[in-house]
Amino acid sequence: MAGRKKKNLIKVADLKKSYQRLEVLKGISFDVKKGSVFGFIGKNGAGKTTTMNILTGLLRFESGQILINGMDFLKNKIELLKSIGYLPENPVFYEYMNAYEYLNFIGEITGLKTKKLNFDILHLLKVVNLKIQAKRRISGYSRGMKQRLALAAAIIHEPDILFLDEPASALDPEGRLEMLALLEELKRRGKTIFLSTHILNDAERVCDEVCIIEEGRILLDEKLSDLYDKYIQPVFDIEFEKELTVETEILNKLSWVESIKACGKIINLSVNNIKIGRAEILKVLSGLDNYVTSFQIRKSSLEDIFINITNQGRKVK
Amino acid sequence: MRSFRAYFKKEFKEAARNYKYLILAVGFIFWALLDPLMLKLLPLILKASLPVELLSQFTNINRDYAFLNLLKDLFQVGTLFFVFSLMGIISSEVSKKKLVLPYSRGLKPEGMVLAKYIHYAITVSIFIFAAFLTNYFYVKSLFNSGVLSIQIVLWSCFLYILYFAVILALLLYMSSLFKKSIIPGLLVLAIVYGFNFFNQLSLIRNYLPNYLILRAADLGVFFDTSLIPTFFISVFLIAIFIFLTIIRMKKIDVA
Repeated sequence: MAGRKKKNLIKVADLKKSYQRLEVLKGISFDVKKGSVFGFIGKNGAGKTTTMNILTGLLRFESGQILINGMDFLKNKIELLKSIGYLPENPVFYEYMNAYEYLNFIGEITGLKTKKLNFDILHLLKVVNLKIQAKRRISGYSRGMKQRLALAAAIIHEPDILFLDEPASALDPEGRLEMLALLEELKRRGKTIFLSTHILNDAERVCDEVCIIEEGRILLDEKLSDLYDKYIQPVFDIEFEKELTVETEILNKLSWVESIKACGKIINLSVNNIKIGRAEILKVLSGLDNYVTSFQIRKSSLEDIFINITNQGRKVK
Repeated sequence: MRSFRAYFKKEFKEAARNYKYLILAVGFIFWALLDPLMLKLLPLILKASLPVELLSQFTNINRDYAFLNLLKDLFQVGTLFFVFSLMGIISSEVSKKKLVLPYSRGLKPEGMVLAKYIHYAITVSIFIFAAFLTNYFYVKSLFNSGVLSIQIVLWSCFLYILYFAVILALLLYMSSLFKKSIIPGLLVLAIVYGFNFFNQLSLIRNYLPNYLILRAADLGVFFDTSLIPTFFISVFLIAIFIFLTIIRMKKIDVA
């Protein structure tokens, strides 16, 4: 895949949505590449669920354009919905039905053939770990079980695009890991996943690209790898074999070194240019008499980046 | 068609498992059983406490009176059961966000609306038919005299079924307009009972569905030309309310 440019599957341009006087989406634009996992991140009330509801045809919008697979979403809604699966944050079911009946009901609406549908439902119930409870009424299900059933309903027709709104929010740690493994499997099978999540560790694990939304505006939309490079902190943490003697003095003389904190065998070295620092530091350290036992560039997590960006209210896009 | 099929089956399951069939059966058939018995037993119960002149009114009951008593109860109390048990037919699905998953799967609103309407129209028709027949056989065995015959009962039954079919379409539309179920319920009841007043105005009454109720109680008189506008308008109202509900459900935000 390296070097090959992926095609944009979803293109959203200047999307606006208001609830009476409250402008929830203030002209957001972004692209989602085919076969990628697109992390849609934001605080509560930022506009994530509204965006997802619009992209799945459940809400109308005032202005803007949505293209899915090159087709106008408004004009080809019914056709495009066939290739979309949606897992809402709080799925609601007909609770007097059991899981098997509900999936059958959704399958019938989708237009799946009865014989194949029966087989698919049994397989899906196994995938989402609900096979044992398949004949139990949904009213007796926990929130996590309902979320897993909603996931089964979302993927019953093998959609090309999946919209997942907080898919792991109601799951226990084991269920969360299973969900992430399932997302990785779906990604491996070439599905495009639009993932809204609060759990940034999950986004870090599965997303290719992240988009941060705040108060109805996109603050950032970048590849995760580029983001780490961009928001990497210009600090090197170096540990030496022996107590520090002349090392601090030598390093301090270098033009690209901003400051040094030294304590015992450890140096925290800040640089004014991360690129030069990365290129030069190992050369300098190899020339010293004191051996290096540990060396690392201090990395920002997605959580650090998210907090940093949302606090600054920095508008990248 | 697939949305219609899926929702028809769903409505059947829902009505059976949430006891809607039972509530509707009580609302219609219960009165058919209870009314003749009460009319028969009341004079015996009140024998000791009522003066003879008043008591004679209860003892001179014939089949026609007993049957008209059912018609009155079905209109007054049966309508209450019917409206209160079905007032959330669409509103509760929208307000509780039950339509999110089906809509995201490409549900066709026309299929859903028609499935709901046809399912409950059939259900109510069966219960009204059962209520009328049950009442007829009771009335026939408990009372004497009167013009009541099976033809009269079936004709009245048909007029009642058509009337409830109009109310169902109105309820369906009202339920699509509001998120709180009680509002369409109260509005429909106000319309149903309020419009009964127009039955006193001979100039316009046969242009309103409530005329069907009046004519159902006109025992022994079958079809005449005054019913033509009533039939036409009733069918037109059913079609227009269903059409408006479909339009509404196509434009509504279900999330």
